[in-house]
Amino acid sequence: MEDRYTRQIRLNEVGKAGQKKLTEAKVLVVGAGGLGCPALQYLAAAGVGTLGIVDFDLVTLTNLHRQIVFEQSDVGRNKAEAAKEKLERLNSKININAYTTSFQLSNGRELLQSYDLVLDATDNFASRYCINDFCVILDKPMVYAALYKFQGQVAVFNYKGGPTYRCLFPTPPKPDEVPNCEMTGVLGVVPGLLGVLQATEVLKIILNLKTVLSGKLLCYDLLSHETKQIEIKPNRAAIATLKEKNSPKEELQLDCNDSLQIDLFSVQDQSNIVWVDVREKGELPLVSLNNQIHLPQSKWEKEWELLKNEETKIVFCQSGQRSKKATALFRRKGILNCYSLSVGATTLQTWNQKVKK
Amino acid sequence: MRYFGLLAETLQKEEEIITTQAKNIGDLKNELLKRYPTLENKTFVLAQQNSIKAEEEKLLEQEVALFPPFSGG
Repeated sequence: MEDRYTRQIRLNEVGKAGQKKLTEAKVLVVGAGGLGCPALQYLAAAGVGTLGIVDFDLVTLTNLHRQIVFEQSDVGRNKAEAAKEKLERLNSKININAYTTSFQLSNGRELLQSYDLVLDATDNFASRYCINDFCVILDKPMVYAALYKFQGQVAVFNYKGGPTYRCLFPTPPKPDEVPNCEMTGVLGVVPGLLGVLQATEVLKIILNLKTVLSGKLLCYDLLSHETKQIEIKPNRAAIATLKEKNSPKEELQLDCNDSLQIDLFSVQDQSNIVWVDVREKGELPLVSLNNQIHLPQSKWEKEWELLKNEETKIVFCQSGQRSKKATALFRRKGILNCYSLSVGATTLQTWNQKVKK
Repeated sequence: MRYFGLLAETLQKEEEIITTQAKNIGDLKNELLKRYPTLENKTFVLAQQNSIKAEEEKLLEQEVALFPPFSGG
């Protein structure tokens, strides 16, 4: 009788012993988006015994061109939960845990503790550095990928004494310095390929195959198919300092700090809320909310006093980056009942349409 | 010189040949910042011979690549 995994067990490099390693492995995938979707599909298919999926976001129509685990009927659902359901239909023999949250300073350690390694499929620097720091502290490998248009980077960090993400880029870039896919645009095949490369590295680590992409940054240009493997040297002193500190670096406090942010699950009663749209005129989609004001960046310093009232202000923008900046500014001015929405306008509109029904 | 990611758009070119008196990577970086003021405040690392180089390392007469961090996922 043929087992589901017969074809991969047949490989000398896998065998029954390798399949057992896969069954016993526990992999945390942070982000069920462009990178996470393809990675999760192949990890589930290969029989990784326990998969954790971390994502606070909701599926929107604009995700479907590249986040191919989801279907049209998933629009409006939480990504981690929708992905779990789909993957369970692919492989009902593995354990899948859905965490409908973001990877933060407050929960990172607890999330990561019970897993062997993490696949970074996030789309922002605050999360990447947060994941990196907890990986160094808890001594877990981090399988990283990131992209810009048609170029991608893949690497395995913190693997058997290898370099970490901070050994490559010690400090995060300034907010707004590097745009993400939502702002720049992306063709689905780019994260599609990179996510599979990440899954490949995860499988290589679990199965002890050579040669894990540690100490090297793979740079891939999908337009020319040029690839480079750039050597990264570990910064042992910095790694030791972080381990000894036993908590992520301070600069993450503002970005990873959930006290500034609010997610849609927390919005129960809209009657006492003022929605603050900080995008520029003409940015779409328009979100049809009751009690909304527009305050583009050019007006923050001049018109913040419009926000002086008893109502809770929820600030939003296209992706959650500008809104964080705006919220920090308003808080400094003394407007304390003000939060940055963790998701962008597209997700907000999808949620709003569902809630109105 | 090779420029990757957003840097290629900032500088409006993906590669070029330059002449420089710089002796080490740090000097080259400073020269680039003077030549291209739009690089100011941008994060990137420099690599030569397929290896990321620290600022004090000697500059060779070979291709230097600039890699910025990528965010997309």
